[in-house]
Amino acid sequence: MAGVPQQQTDSFKFPKIHTDYPPFFTLQITASSRQAQLERWSRLVQRYCRHHKIFQLSIVDYQDKELFKNSKLNKTLFPDDIRKVIDHMVSQDGQQRAEWLTPAKASAWIWWRRPEEWALAIAAWVDDTGQKGSVLTLYEIVEGDATETQEFHAMDMDVLRKGLAVLAKQGKAQVFGTDDQQGVKFF
Amino acid sequence: MSSRRGVGLGAFTDRTSTASAYQTRGSELKQSRAASLLAQREVIQSLLHNFAVQHVDTIKANPQFRAEFARMCHAVGVDPLAGSNARGKKSEGGLRAKVFGADLKDFYCSVAVRVVELCQRTVAENGGLIGVKECCEAVTRGRAGLIGGGLQVSEDDIKAAVKSLEPLHSGFKIIIIAGKEFVRSIPKELNTDQSTVLEILQLLGNITISLLVLNLSWPKARAKTVIDDLQADSLVWVDKQCPEWEYWSPHGLLDED
Repeated sequence: MAGVPQQQTDSFKFPKIHTDYPPFFTLQITASSRQAQLERWSRLVQRYCRHHKIFQLSIVDYQDKELFKNSKLNKTLFPDDIRKVIDHMVSQDGQQRAEWLTPAKASAWIWWRRPEEWALAIAAWVDDTGQKGSVLTLYEIVEGDATETQEFHAMDMDVLRKGLAVLAKQGKAQVFGTDDQQGVKFF
Repeated sequence: MSSRRGVGLGAFTDRTSTASAYQTRGSELKQSRAASLLAQREVIQSLLHNFAVQHVDTIKANPQFRAEFARMCHAVGVDPLAGSNARGKKSEGGLRAKVFGADLKDFYCSVAVRVVELCQRTVAENGGLIGVKECCEAVTRGRAGLIGGGLQVSEDDIKAAVKSLEPLHSGFKIIIIAGKEFVRSIPKELNTDQSTVLEILQLLGNITISLLVLNLSWPKARAKTVIDDLQADSLVWVDKQCPEWEYWSPHGLLDED
């Protein structure tokens, strides 16, 4: 769940606008600048979450982390502004790249892949590996050796369920079982 | 010409006639030299042209080579873009020349398209002002996720491409701020105060109102107006997390994805 990355400062490369540009951390007043800025933040958040396989981002957990804080410049994107960034990501303008978990806006799903996109990826993998008609447990899909090269390996269970729900709606899969013992059959 | 110096009154007429003789001879020489230079230039031009036809692939592929070639063309008065499609002869050379001219024109067109695209995509971020160098890097890098990606270009290519947009009255032009070249993609003129501030920004990276007041001895209201205008045009971004608000120019930020 909402894994805060273990202090691994591995190879995520922040863009120059984050490493060397102090105004990036102040929401701009001018509408067009602000729009461009929100878009840059949205792209950065998606890229960062994808790199660290973060699916759920809680503002309290992340407000002091490197994503929103540049200690070299001593600049911070404050929680209110983080909220505005995510609001933008949630909007049509931001291509619905995020979704608040609750109206309180404390944490959000970050859709660096939307559930439909996960569904596509899983369906393609099932197709490629000739597993149509077979039954897999959800655990196998996320943790199994067979999926190690796939982007959905080690993904969030809830997101997987959302993705499979999309496939179920299209009649391409059926999920059964109870919470911790769920399986899925692909058609 | 007489080697004897004339004496008496006759010397005067003699001197004028000598001078005019020199003059005629001089202009004769000048003329013949000019004619031979002209002939030489024509030879060089046609050689250059043949060279261009032979090496069109290299010229298109290698930006350094292209820049040198363009410089040579410029020096001897050959327009590398016009090619020689004006000759219109049906000879093989003429035909190839036509293809070549069109080829290179195509090349600059596609550079221009990418420049325009880049400027439009980033106008909200930089207010329609983008460094030629930055532009060149971005076009070379190509756009992430687009097949066909980058195009090997030099800064000269970018400038040539922008210049090729002139007949369209698109408002695209090259302007110079503090010795650095920029592509301006919005046909809005900057006033003197704005240009001054942009120049300082270019040199210092960021500015504050009091810095302008101190260094330019401007009244505060004047400094504030200029900055407000620049900010409204997206030409500066504000950083409020400091004792006095700092204004930064949004340039050199085109890396990532």
